[in-house]
Amino acid sequence: MSRPGNRIEPEASEAQEEAQRWERETRAPFVASHPERREAFVTQALKWPIQPLYTPADLDASGFDYARDLGYPGEYPYTRGTQPNGHRSSLWTMSQVTGFGKGEDWARRARYMLEQGLQGLILEHDLPTTNGYDSDNPLVEGEVGRAGLAVDSLEDLERAFDLPFERLKYLMSVCNAPQPVNLAMIIAALEKKGVDPRRFVVHIVNGILIEYTCVGRYIFPPVHGLRIATDCIEYIIRNHPNWAPISIISAQLQPAKANPVQELAFSMAIAMAYIDATLARGLPIDTIAPYFHFVVNVDMDFFEGICKLRAYRKVWARLMQERYGAKLPAALKIRMMTSPTTIALTLQQPLNNIGRLAIMATACALGGAGEAMTTPLHDEAHSLPAEEAIRVGAALQHIVAHETGVADTIDPLAGSYYVESLTKQIETAAMAEIDKIQAMGGALKAIETGYFQRALGREQYERNRDIEEGRRKWVGVNHLVVPGEKRQIEIFRADGRVEEEQVARLRELRARRDPEAVAQALEAVREAARTGANLVSPCLAAVKVYATHGELCDAMREVFGVHTPDSQLTGV
Amino acid sequence: MAAQRPLRVLLAKLGMDTHTVGITVVAHALREAGMEVIFTGLKQTPEAVASAAIQEDVDVVGISTLSAGHTRSLPRLARLLREQGAQDKLLVAGGVIPEEDVPLLEEAGYARIFTMGTDTREIVAYLVQWHRSQRDREPAA
Repeated sequence: MSRPGNRIEPEASEAQEEAQRWERETRAPFVASHPERREAFVTQALKWPIQPLYTPADLDASGFDYARDLGYPGEYPYTRGTQPNGHRSSLWTMSQVTGFGKGEDWARRARYMLEQGLQGLILEHDLPTTNGYDSDNPLVEGEVGRAGLAVDSLEDLERAFDLPFERLKYLMSVCNAPQPVNLAMIIAALEKKGVDPRRFVVHIVNGILIEYTCVGRYIFPPVHGLRIATDCIEYIIRNHPNWAPISIISAQLQPAKANPVQELAFSMAIAMAYIDATLARGLPIDTIAPYFHFVVNVDMDFFEGICKLRAYRKVWARLMQERYGAKLPAALKIRMMTSPTTIALTLQQPLNNIGRLAIMATACALGGAGEAMTTPLHDEAHSLPAEEAIRVGAALQHIVAHETGVADTIDPLAGSYYVESLTKQIETAAMAEIDKIQAMGGALKAIETGYFQRALGREQYERNRDIEEGRRKWVGVNHLVVPGEKRQIEIFRADGRVEEEQVARLRELRARRDPEAVAQALEAVREAARTGANLVSPCLAAVKVYATHGELCDAMREVFGVHTPDSQLTGV
Repeated sequence: MAAQRPLRVLLAKLGMDTHTVGITVVAHALREAGMEVIFTGLKQTPEAVASAAIQEDVDVVGISTLSAGHTRSLPRLARLLREQGAQDKLLVAGGVIPEEDVPLLEEAGYARIFTMGTDTREIVAYLVQWHRSQRDREPAA
């Protein structure tokens, strides 16, 4: 067993000598007569060279030390998992994304999903809501209720929350830029439904910094975006301590083609920006850190995915301990949801996607699925999910969990020479990238200068070129193509009536509510925006008198201004 | 002289659609091919894109759309450009556009619709070809 000091010894270890002998005597002569099928073998996203064989010599060369690099499950540095018993005591929570139409449409679909055995739901709002506009704003014509739930006022969420809450373990909500408004609406709607907030977990994603980095659903300039996100974090920690105030959705960086090192480093740097801002509110690191939650995608490169998940746990633990001096285990243990990525799925031959999803979900489980796993659906690339696809998607996680045995022992790939080498390489490269970002002033600066955006833009271009030029094979796209395959794209066109009804409801509400109470409530929001007081409380008061989502966002626009980045700052 | 300068392309996104991977890949490919690319930023109105196209004196206006709003906003942009005397600009669009919507957009004035999965080399070749045909049409200086 190697000790940390061993790696600096000049002589090759016995293991290295043996590996070299095998290469010389056995492999090289074989390859001479059986040339390799590729010029170079590299990992899919990072394009790191892959050796033909990994042996104990590779672990020795990287200075691998079991106790320091892996440890035991539930113990620092958590490489082998944050749970002491892996998935043997309980499986991950299985969930899927949903969200479209009016409140009652969403509730109907959500009830169906709960009946299929799902315990967590993700509430996606439509683009007008996410971008801070009411349904009757001329800018959003044609978009109301199309890509998610339309929320103009508290009444819309009251309708959406017609759910068997006793079956639901958690509700995750993605509505980043107008977060204080969204949070206020959720709190108020649960209150109206009489749901005990202590028995139920609301995850707000609150991920505005990733919106500036690649997703684009921002409203205010980044510095104000960070401030209002911090308001929500602080409010939840102080008022709903069992909820989750922040998710770093690396799973948005990854579809923007972040490679595993960028994904890990950018998301950690972004987490550090929120942590620094929350520390400045007078909360200690051991209180703040346990609230951070990550959603991490796995792509088709099985080992990049598995090793990335293992590296995530270790890098978080190291940052919290080494950089912030966190002491509590809860602060050092990353909370994570994993997911197969949608960008591996193809429009062509969509049934192939079921195979891809099964492989990626297996990689998630092998890497340590985290508290929850969410799976996209095989038909997502070309249509709005059909109910059959939802059933297949739910079954898929059960197949991985119950039929393969991958969840029956903890961190089963630990000790694999390849897995440990790649895990360590990813960790080392990510730590170096985090240091680089911190040296340029942290994630906020990296966004304000366009560093993240341009880095992702280059990855997007290169990945596309690799596929177009055939360096990367993708079944159905540039390999095993079915000639003349009809590519049916079914886009979900907004049912014009949804928009009409939503607008009619909104106008009717505006006519019947108390205009003076609304005006006063909006002024209180402007005041808080100006003074730096926490925005959640005045937003909560305002949604209760039925100030609308768009009105509240406008009140903040008046104070903060809007974000209008150019080409350099978008990476386009 | 317009014929001597590199092709100037304005790339834009309309409405609430903020998916930028496609437009980013296209922007990089066009720049790589020597074209000048200007990006309007996100959440633009057809009015703002039309006036940017005229102010920036571009040859080509390319719209990326991954949202169902294209049947309304794209024809509107074409009409605005025509009304402002900018009908000489080449209009193209790409993204998630179902086949059945292509005729409507072509009729509205879009010379070419690049549907999902179009090879960027095909887009570059098309624009280069168009640029050449424009030069041939102009009288020699």
